[in-house]
Amino acid sequence: MGKIVGGFLVPHDPMMFLAPEAPPEEVRGRMWAAFEQCAHRLAKLEATAVVIVGGDHYFNFGTDCLPQYLIGTGDVDGPLDVMPGLKRQFIPDSQDLAAFVARHGHENGFDWSVARAFTVDHAVAIPDRLIVDPVRARGQAIGTIPVYVASGVDPYISMSRCAALGGAIRAAVEAAGEHERVALIGSGGLSHWIGLPQMGQVNEAFDREILAYACSGDLDAMTRLSDEYILQHGGNGGMEIRHWAVAMGAMPGAHGYLIDYAPVPEWVTGLGFVQLMQ
Amino acid sequence: MSRNVLERLLHRLCVDRREKQRFKEDLEGLLERHRLTEEEKAMLRALDVGAMQRHGVNPMLTIGFWFENAPDPTPRAYMKALAAPAARGPEEDR
Repeated sequence: MGKIVGGFLVPHDPMMFLAPEAPPEEVRGRMWAAFEQCAHRLAKLEATAVVIVGGDHYFNFGTDCLPQYLIGTGDVDGPLDVMPGLKRQFIPDSQDLAAFVARHGHENGFDWSVARAFTVDHAVAIPDRLIVDPVRARGQAIGTIPVYVASGVDPYISMSRCAALGGAIRAAVEAAGEHERVALIGSGGLSHWIGLPQMGQVNEAFDREILAYACSGDLDAMTRLSDEYILQHGGNGGMEIRHWAVAMGAMPGAHGYLIDYAPVPEWVTGLGFVQLMQ
Repeated sequence: MSRNVLERLLHRLCVDRREKQRFKEDLEGLLERHRLTEEEKAMLRALDVGAMQRHGVNPMLTIGFWFENAPDPTPRAYMKALAAPAARGPEEDR
């Protein structure tokens, strides 16, 4: 059987690329170093595949089709939203495992939408570029499997369904071939207000509440947060903690190690980095 | 529901190069191709992102629309437009 070998909860802040020098030097240095730390830690896990969980920013999917949850089972590239220092490129994939996860879900009550050729946006491209690519550069072959959940456009997927979806990913991995060693990356958060008048505000208290759930492994408490609470205290971008819930759901009983956190209003969000360990 | 049509057009104005070109060169022609209310057409003519949000449009679309189509596509200009007071209707003008 395959194995979940670890997980990470990280931001995917495009402002790091669009305004790299906006925050104080000490803060921005720490944030880039935190991504490097994640890459270093991922390398030690000797993963064969990484499932990166993100959410659409009303960019990949339009009004014609808004999936609750989707998995990329074919070729992957990105980002769709190119930016300085983040050009579009092919992303090594893991098509056999991704298709297996989808099929396993379909047979067990999880009706995945699939993308057979998928240009991901920055939600997946940033952690892939900053965490997975450096490990590939060291010679490890890791395929990326993108997963998108409806966190940015209503109707939102529920927090509890996200946790269950993580469980479905774990069940599929454990039913896959024993050579599969899979890490998860929950990509997003913490508090931020995308496109709203409050954009630029950061709610450190909300961020630390979520980090506490992640570090103590209290997924039940996190899934009990109502959408109204998250939107009020974490903003519409705070809904991205759903991506963290998927990763945490795939690692029941795991605790988190806080790699770093900083509220960075210049980059319009609180940036938290956690490694999940069982 | 008309908001949905407005969101569809705004999404296209984020990702479709031809639609962005039409917005720039033939705005009235573009508006005629979509079943929008006069109020919604006015929002698009004025790039009134605040009114769009009050109308229920997802903020991710208003900011994407702004960055892709506004004459000054900067965050500062977007925030200024968002903070502009709501336009008063004819009844309130009296």
